[in-house]
Amino acid sequence: MGFFWSKNKDKSKPAASLQSNENELNQLDSLKTNLQVNLQKIKDTLGKSSDIIIREIRIGKDDSIKAGIIYTDGLTDTPTLNNFILETLMLDIKGIELQKKISPEQNFISVLKDYAMTVGEIKDLKNFEDLFTGLLSGDTVILIDGFAQGLIISNKQWVERGVNEPTSQTVVRGPREGFSENIRVNTALVRRKVKDPNLWMESKIIGKRTKTNVAVMFINGVANEKIVDEVRKRLDKIDIDGILESGNVEELIQDAPLSPFPTVFNSERPDIIAAALLEGRIAIFVDGTPFVLVVPALFIQFFQSSEDYYQRADIASLIRLLRFFSFGIALLAPALFIAITTFHHAMLPPALLISLTAQREGVPFPAFVEAMIMEITFEILREAGVRMPRSIGSAMSIVGAFVIGTAAVEAGIISAAMVIVVSITAISSFVSPTYDIAIAVRMLRFGFMALAASFGLYGVTIGLIALILHLCSLRSFGVPYMSPLAPFNISDQKDTFIRLPKWKMFSRPRLITPQNQVRQVNSGTAKPAPEKK
Amino acid sequence: MKKNILVLLVLSLFLTGCWDRRELNEIAITLAMGIDKVDEGYELSAQVVVPSEVAMNKSTGRSTVTLFTARGKTIYEAFRKMTKDSPRKIYPGHLLILVIGEDLAREGIADSLELFSRDWEIRSDFFVVVAKDMAASEVLNVTTTLEPIPANKMFNTLKTSESAWAATNGITVAELITDLVSDGKEAILTGIFVTGDLEVGSSRQNIESITPVTRIKYDHLAVFKKDRLVGWLTERESRGYNDITNSINTTVTTISCPGGGKAVIEIIQFESVVKGDVKNGQPEVNIDIKVDGNIGEVECEIDLTKQESIKELSKSYEDEVKDIINQTIDTAQNQYQTDVFGFGDALHRSNPKEWKKLRDHWDQKFRELTVTVKVDVKLHRMGTVDESFLEKLRD
Repeated sequence: MGFFWSKNKDKSKPAASLQSNENELNQLDSLKTNLQVNLQKIKDTLGKSSDIIIREIRIGKDDSIKAGIIYTDGLTDTPTLNNFILETLMLDIKGIELQKKISPEQNFISVLKDYAMTVGEIKDLKNFEDLFTGLLSGDTVILIDGFAQGLIISNKQWVERGVNEPTSQTVVRGPREGFSENIRVNTALVRRKVKDPNLWMESKIIGKRTKTNVAVMFINGVANEKIVDEVRKRLDKIDIDGILESGNVEELIQDAPLSPFPTVFNSERPDIIAAALLEGRIAIFVDGTPFVLVVPALFIQFFQSSEDYYQRADIASLIRLLRFFSFGIALLAPALFIAITTFHHAMLPPALLISLTAQREGVPFPAFVEAMIMEITFEILREAGVRMPRSIGSAMSIVGAFVIGTAAVEAGIISAAMVIVVSITAISSFVSPTYDIAIAVRMLRFGFMALAASFGLYGVTIGLIALILHLCSLRSFGVPYMSPLAPFNISDQKDTFIRLPKWKMFSRPRLITPQNQVRQVNSGTAKPAPEKK
Repeated sequence: MKKNILVLLVLSLFLTGCWDRRELNEIAITLAMGIDKVDEGYELSAQVVVPSEVAMNKSTGRSTVTLFTARGKTIYEAFRKMTKDSPRKIYPGHLLILVIGEDLAREGIADSLELFSRDWEIRSDFFVVVAKDMAASEVLNVTTTLEPIPANKMFNTLKTSESAWAATNGITVAELITDLVSDGKEAILTGIFVTGDLEVGSSRQNIESITPVTRIKYDHLAVFKKDRLVGWLTERESRGYNDITNSINTTVTTISCPGGGKAVIEIIQFESVVKGDVKNGQPEVNIDIKVDGNIGEVECEIDLTKQESIKELSKSYEDEVKDIINQTIDTAQNQYQTDVFGFGDALHRSNPKEWKKLRDHWDQKFRELTVTVKVDVKLHRMGTVDESFLEKLRD
């Protein structure tokens, strides 16, 4: 064990080697005046990547000035490039006495920028690092011979998925739009819902090689400043070569990496993110993924669906109670079944005991092994169902239903009661509106089954005590994970196990936003006052 | 700190716990047991359920239960000896009914009950009954219809008749032991017996006909003095016993009409209060009975629309109940000389000081005890007709 740990702690070595590699790139430093030298350096650095287009042209009167245009094929909008950059440079400005206007040499670039280029976003370029970052994220780079600077023109355009209906956290009632892979689209979707000038967004580039755009979004004045600072600090600490998905960021900033419970919430629904921001939470957008992170994430948050707030409060409350109940089933049902049928026969009514015994006649395995077989079979089917090509799906569901359901029982390997227990467990684990908590339960279930098989209900109880202790010890960005249950807060109970009607929800969660509590000052239903006679 | 708590939790797993792991198909569920007296000690019988025969779809037509018997000097010895015969360990946790053979009951039941109050696996809520004129194992050896498991049939019959018919009384082992150790109340148990051919009764053939040849029935109450059976109450006396001890839920009573013929009163609420008193050093017991009833059946000429007739019927009922009770008390006082009604307890409650003096020779005092019975009946409804159609038939 000690060896394993010490190996884990030793993170410095791979980091150091990455550092040296990074230095190589930094040596490129600032641009040179000679265009050929610059272009050669670009070619050397990028290898012979076939998607990098380097075009050398001549511009100005008498085609006297050499210029280079560099862009990445596929990431750049070619019509813009052709119509507004190449055409401008090569045709439109030919007649103009550029030389005269640019008496001091260094101004030629700014003249181009100020008078010639008919595109929106344009930036000066001084060193190679910016050049490569811009070039590889789809910008067009213009270099002019004789100047140690250039221009970066933003005309990114690539093929991407549109705004589709999200596949996770689906609702019957509620908006159908979901985030896409483009961070700009995603932040725009949220801003469209919250048009508050206090909705602030801070961008960061994370990942030395991927240079992934990460944006931290919060409502200034509502979000706890300390938590915002903490988020900034943790994001700044990330020192890694690549961020490909928000899951990478989550793993690097979460509070309890060894806990099976998630301390960072994620969603691909803009309405959930907007609601979280309004509660004072902080959203972290990562470019390239539709999943946006939310911190701080509390235990009960994983049981709240966005639909709870769109439906009537009474049914929403009942359904939420049902979710907690099925969480219990998903966690404990097989364990309780094993414990009771192998240790505590006296707990069953005689008729049920006899019926269960009859089913177990001829079953060759102990209840624990039987349950493990069924659970593992189910996990295999589930994993296969997620990974395999869609077209094979129906074939697998036939095999799965047949193997799990009928054949195993008829062959006498598994008792029918066990099939019922495992099925209800499986179904219950899907009730949770967020996938992450279901994963935690999925893992813990096996632990509880082992405890039940070796120590009976006593073991299950000890396991539950340990689980509750663990949950209460967790924190998500400084907020106790189990709040508002532990520490208990009476006013936050309005949106915990039940949801009170919207006109009863006056305040924001206390521990998340201590400084700005009021959601609505004077509220009530829209019911008209009785007419006075 | 966190580590310490974790270590503590893990260690606590080994402090105690449920180590007795048994799969469901490793236990033999017994719902009914019987104890008989034999020369070398006891004979214990356990009626074990055959689960696969009880389950709906797997039944092959064999018997739903099987009987294991073993003999031993003590009950526990006999119990463990059963494994010589049974492939699975007998699991008595769901015991519903314990049958005691009459021979054993006459010799004393206290010794044999000790295990049933001590063993942790056995609950204290099963019924105890006495096999009248036969061995317990014979009662457990009869197949039953409607309820495929005979133990269930015995248990449910006792439960149903206890609440719908006044002459049976289900006594659990906890109640029995309380009675046994009490100074002021003697124990009483319901009798169980088998009618018909015992040979046929043990086979499936018995329940293949509409009217089973052999049946299990409850009747009579077994009267105990200390832990020994001294005799049986008749059905009428059993009825009286339940009247006195307030063990009646609902029942019906047949009474005679003032002008001849019969009528039936259906009891819907019955409450009897036994109060002890000591006057001039002599113990006395007052039984105060309050009854709510309906007229259930009228097989005689009587005009129910008149207030008078209702009064007459009430009077007739009160006489009937008094008669039953007096007869029962007479039997207990003179024939068996045992205070099964708990009059001693009533005196103990009302006059604790005097009871201390009475206690030592209570048997004697009980025989001379004066018992006053007061019955107050209220008849409420008389069904869907005022006047019986029999009236018109006779006209």
